[in-house]
Amino acid sequence: MTLDWNVVWQYRGDLAYGVLLTIALTVATMAIAVPGGIAVMLMRQSHVRAVSFLGTVFVEFFRNVPLILLVYWAFYVLPILTDIQFSAFATGLVAMCLNVSAYNAETFRAGVNSIRKGQLEAAMAMGMSRSQAMRKVVLPQAIRRILPVLASTWVSLFKDTSLVSVIAVGELAHTALQIRSQTFRVLEMLTAMAAIYWLLGYPQAKLVDWIHRKYGVTE
Amino acid sequence: MESTVTGRKNGDQPPVVQYDGVVKRFGSLTVLNGVSARVNKGEVVCLIGPSGSGKSTLLRCTNALEIADGGRVVFEGQPLPKTEAELRHVRRRMGMVFQNFELFPHMTALENVAVGPITILGADPAEARAKAQALLEKVGLGAKGGNHPSALSGGQQQRVAIARALAMDPDVMLFDEPTSALDPETIGEVLNVMKRLAEEGMTMVVVTHEMSFARRVANWILVFDEGRVIEEGPPAQIFDAPTHARTQSFLSHLGWNG
Ligand SMILES: Nc1ncnc2c1ncn2[C@@H]1O[C@H](COP(=O)(O)OP(=O)(O)OP(=O)(O)O)[C@@H](O)[C@H]1O
Ligand SMILES: [Mg+2]
Repeated sequence: MTLDWNVVWQYRGDLAYGVLLTIALTVATMAIAVPGGIAVMLMRQSHVRAVSFLGTVFVEFFRNVPLILLVYWAFYVLPILTDIQFSAFATGLVAMCLNVSAYNAETFRAGVNSIRKGQLEAAMAMGMSRSQAMRKVVLPQAIRRILPVLASTWVSLFKDTSLVSVIAVGELAHTALQIRSQTFRVLEMLTAMAAIYWLLGYPQAKLVDWIHRKYGVTE
Repeated sequence: MESTVTGRKNGDQPPVVQYDGVVKRFGSLTVLNGVSARVNKGEVVCLIGPSGSGKSTLLRCTNALEIADGGRVVFEGQPLPKTEAELRHVRRRMGMVFQNFELFPHMTALENVAVGPITILGADPAEARAKAQALLEKVGLGAKGGNHPSALSGGQQQRVAIARALAMDPDVMLFDEPTSALDPETIGEVLNVMKRLAEEGMTMVVVTHEMSFARRVANWILVFDEGRVIEEGPPAQIFDAPTHARTQSFLSHLGWNG
């Protein structure tokens, strides 16, 4: 069997575009799922029963459904539900956001619960409203404390974006698999794909380790 | 130790805080069992008594961190309001200082002091910071504004906490054992700031185990036991001639000998 690595170079433009989409999907998902997670966490802590119930259902549902199923579900159900034809990218983004928001909501909840009650009381005693106290006092501390967890979520998310290839989002995995089926260079393309994911993912993982060391233990 | 002030002040004026038969329960436990007392303008009222007797709870009922189950707390002539929005307005006029400081660790000392006026009163940030700096100087920490709480000693942190409360220009300051978490060396610096505040005429309610501070600075002492005020009076009377047997045993337990 002869290997032809030239194929990787030949399709470098397509692969680079795939990488760009992968990064865009990761960034967009996190940009939505961080405020989304905070919103869902606040819903869960609402004093209004119906609201907190909705928050809980959201978390328990979207956290416990396999992501690939969510991706398919968004692909078939979203257009029916909303009567809008979403692009593949937008569909994949919705699925990722639902899943990661649910995870982030739990992360934020743990973070907020780890801030001792006296901090909230000190803010309230000054005359802050509950939401001012959250914004100015509790959340900034909570976010600092959960930064390592968010960073780990980021790294998994980066790899998990490959799942949206099943609905033909042209990110890295889908692009590589397309080239594979056009050129029949299976081994080359899979190897190249693994190498690219690793090259991009490894520095991120190292960065996360660094964040863990820097923020992980401090009070 | 010679007492500098004794006895009630401004008794002819309406009290700043008045407690009318305040009752507080936690489940089946009655923690405050009908507490009545008053705090006049410019007075330092010290709450003393054994652990678990309800001192902190009364303080927390004052600014509605806890809501009394019975009786009422009257602040400047008005019973504490019921809604959170109205309570926030009342809380702005009461400063609170906690045993564990509860400074905001992600802010510098200066930011801790300025955050209330900026966030709650919508003050101009530059003005608020200038005022915060002046308050830090007042508590002897003019050079520490850039430090985060983790880079301050306990006594320094508590002085920042006092400055933070003063930044809201409160009408009354509530202190819950402000020196109990401190190393002995730094207790004095906090008590001195409090003493100076009292001399400036600040109305203060102080839960404390520092009997010599209460003896020297308080106008009025409330002795708590099992959710009641069992005895009250000027420090000279409470410390030199306590009438209630529980007061006597509490004081002798602390090694107080007049
Ligand atoms: N949130 C709460 N839930 C249940 N019980 C409480 C709560 N807060 C206080 N208590 C109880 O109420 C009683 C009075 O507490 P409080 O803190 O007012 O006492 P204290 O006089 O301040 O004592 P110390 O000198 O130890 O601070 C104690 O038995 C305490 O355990
Ligand atoms: Mg107490």
